Amino acid sequence: MGPLIDAIPLPYTDAVVVLGAAVLGLTCGVLGAFAVLRGRSLVGDAVAHAALPGVCVAFLLGGTKDVPLLLVGAGVAGVLGAVVMLAIERNTRIPADSAIGLVLSAFFSLGVVLLTYIAGSGDADQAGLESYLFGQAAGLLESDVAVMAAISAVSLAAVALTVRAMRVVLFDPRFGGSIGLPVRALEITSTVMLVIAVVIGVRMVGAILMVAMLIAPTVTARQLTDRLVPLLALAGVVGAAVGVAGAVGSTAAGLPTGPVIVLLALGIVLAAVLLAPRRGVLWRAGALLHRRRLAACDAALLAWHRDGELPARSVRALARRGWAEPGPAGPRPTAAGRAAIQEVLERRALWSAWLEHGTRLDLDDPREPGPHDLAAVLGPHRVSELRELAATNGAPR
Amino acid sequence: MTDTAVIVLTAALTGTACALLGPFLVLRRVALLGDAVSHAVLPGIVLVWLVAQTRAPLAVVAGAALFAVVCVLAIDALRATGLVPPDAAIGLVFPALFSLGVLGVTRYADGIHLDLDSTIYGEIAFVPFATVTVAGVPLARATVVLAVVVAVNLALVGLLWKELKATTFDPEFSRTVGLRPVLLSRLLLLAVAVTAVSAFEAVGAILVVTLLIVPAATAYLLTDRLAVMVAVAVAVSWVGAVAGNALATATDSAISGAMGLACTACFVLALLAAPRHGLVVRWIRRGRRRRPAAAA
Amino acid sequence: MFMKVRATPALPATTVTAHAPAVDVRGVTVSYRSTPVLWDVDAELPAGRLSAIVGPNGAGKSTLLRAMLGLVPMESGRVRIAGLPLEQARDLLAYVPQREAVDWNFPVTVREVVAMGRYRAAGWFRRLGRTDRTLAAEALERVGMTAFARRQIGELSGGQRQRVFVARALAQQAEVLLMDEPFAGIDARTQAGLLGLFGELCAEGRSVVVVHHDIAAVRASFDHALLLNVRALGCGDAREVLTEEAILRAYGAPPAEDAVAWAR
Repeated sequence: MGPLIDAIPLPYTDAVVVLGAAVLGLTCGVLGAFAVLRGRSLVGDAVAHAALPGVCVAFLLGGTKDVPLLLVGAGVAGVLGAVVMLAIERNTRIPADSAIGLVLSAFFSLGVVLLTYIAGSGDADQAGLESYLFGQAAGLLESDVAVMAAISAVSLAAVALTVRAMRVVLFDPRFGGSIGLPVRALEITSTVMLVIAVVIGVRMVGAILMVAMLIAPTVTARQLTDRLVPLLALAGVVGAAVGVAGAVGSTAAGLPTGPVIVLLALGIVLAAVLLAPRRGVLWRAGALLHRRRLAACDAALLAWHRDGELPARSVRALARRGWAEPGPAGPRPTAAGRAAIQEVLERRALWSAWLEHGTRLDLDDPREPGPHDLAAVLGPHRVSELRELAATNGAPR
Repeated sequence: MTDTAVIVLTAALTGTACALLGPFLVLRRVALLGDAVSHAVLPGIVLVWLVAQTRAPLAVVAGAALFAVVCVLAIDALRATGLVPPDAAIGLVFPALFSLGVLGVTRYADGIHLDLDSTIYGEIAFVPFATVTVAGVPLARATVVLAVVVAVNLALVGLLWKELKATTFDPEFSRTVGLRPVLLSRLLLLAVAVTAVSAFEAVGAILVVTLLIVPAATAYLLTDRLAVMVAVAVAVSWVGAVAGNALATATDSAISGAMGLACTACFVLALLAAPRHGLVVRWIRRGRRRRPAAAA
Repeated sequence: MFMKVRATPALPATTVTAHAPAVDVRGVTVSYRSTPVLWDVDAELPAGRLSAIVGPNGAGKSTLLRAMLGLVPMESGRVRIAGLPLEQARDLLAYVPQREAVDWNFPVTVREVVAMGRYRAAGWFRRLGRTDRTLAAEALERVGMTAFARRQIGELSGGQRQRVFVARALAQQAEVLLMDEPFAGIDARTQAGLLGLFGELCAEGRSVVVVHHDIAAVRASFDHALLLNVRALGCGDAREVLTEEAILRAYGAPPAEDAVAWAR
């Protein structure tokens, strides 16, 4: 730990915080994936709040603010909370999200009562509730980071060992059960890992913001890869990067660390969602707009051909393309316009023929074409074959 | 009125305001959206202070409403990309908004007497001391504000009762008959935001979430009629207020936490003992079903 | 089982325009991403008749109903209900969706569900009046579920639930009823009862459009059929449209001679 800290070009306390943030980001990134991919992102929020009474009880029993003991207490309470959530969801008509909210509220209320009782006053602030909720990066000790790192290492090793089985269970638990995987055990492991991630992270970012650290790295990584192992690795990297950047930035600017990290995390998610190649919004928006314009154009041409009428706004669009010109009885198609109409009609006829007779064609290409790329996907040979089938209405020569 | 009575009254009013909305949040499966909105109002409070240098209730409510809208729209936008699962969207947006609020408070709000802690668990003990004069009578300000919020929520739920009922039960049918399920959803969340921000000073965000969900969940186990569900939720919140206050005094702990515990106790009781949906009854029923098979 | 009640009087002739079909779709195309699930669908379903929409799974039958109701965006085409565009025709329409989308644990009684059919007529912010409640009660009586009026909706069997949703549609006093797979997963008695009820409704001058999976039943009991598989393969008299050849064409199996050619 020492040499690592010395390597960071910051004053000692800041370096400790940065290292802690790196461990936190890495761990929450990887372990959080197992919640997000199972659709249980907000369970992390509940676990973060549920851990509070565990910390209090550990303190009451142990009589000391010994960090590992408190972490154990937090962990036990977190697991208990997760179990109760599941039990409520499975055994009552209470919906899943309300079960999460219930456990969150109930355990946290208990925690507040215990905390203020411990502090001997009705003023929870004195008792350190603020640092629990909002995190307290500043007072982080080297020994704390060492403990975090040790726990993290063990959990990441567990992930590495179980990742192949996890992949199946995450995607299709019933299938996993049918091939003999211990689905229940793996689900329990996922939950325990989530609790571990929360317990590690709550110290630095606080209970309220914890959930974002569990979710953001996975959502970001998901935009960049489709496979589980690269996703986990990427989530870890993103988490660590955001953690470090946030820690450095917040200590430099004199701001609380947790909020800065969370805002950075959201920023990265937004960047990934907007800019990811192929999946990203900006990427698809262009393709979507293009498709819509084509469809609107086709629809206008078709309506014109069929009904002889054209709404005013389409007249302008078509005129701009040189397909419509003013005439004695209203707009009429130019030669290019007539060709465009013909093309649309042929394309649609081909698609109809495809719907009707497509199963007869022998295709090497497994792609599923749409009406606009059908001719391209089929190739000229198959297109003429399809046309022939349509002309003879299915009876081959 | 004694200070304790004011405290209990304020707590009960908060509970009522939340319990009027809670059942719809639970039934529409947006309980956690209510949680998110309750946290997202913090930057609204801060912004209003920064811009208008005031903590007057009306202005603060406006700021809260603004950020509630931002929260809901942001979550919807993330969901709409198809790239972010709906619950993940919630878990990203409200921490980000809350972070904005925290940063705002630490950076700019030295003059504001808004401690972060009070946003979470409130300072209900101080409620009796901030008074306004209404019709010549000095009343605790928070109590008055909450009374108004109760009236507003009552009006909302009362006037839109059948619309809320239909859109919660069958949103698709409601769309086809023009009942605007999305609009009602947004209105509901707006009401949650207004309630949350009004209750902040008194009981803090976490207890608001608790009062939204726990009494409603308790009521859901006890009845099959929507109107009864709302009534029972309100009743549970009152029990929480009174019992919570007693517990807090006895153990010298925070009142908001004690209230949450009291409501939880009601829930656990209902969970076990509810006549039709309680666990004890179900176990008995299951046992009865198995016994004939065993005897055969 | 189904009560022969004083049936609601037949609609006055002026409302049901003899010329306007109950449903008229032209060139309707609906796409999901870039794949059309409905392609250039033209269909006319006549007024005052019992019509069925049939086709294989994934044919777009539910999507067509939802497009008629404006629940899904259309890439192209238009829909007319009783000769009017959808926005003007909402009061003439009633929709019974497929049953899955509903929250069965919701604390609402059978009577309250049927009453929801009157909500639009009652208007925003207002309570239901006596007429509304009477109409709802009559609708419930008509499907024979009055005895269950106070039960919570989740306690009912599949067939009973279906009857309640039909009652809700009846309470709307609509001219055109659109129903998505009302016969799916319910017992034969309820099916027969519902079919009889639909016949009565048509006799009163209303139009009933039903998505149905049972072709034999449609040929036997329905007036009109639309055979659908992404595109409209036939729309007209049920027995004329649902020929063996048409059905094979819709369901994708190659005709007999080709099967031999393939095997060679």
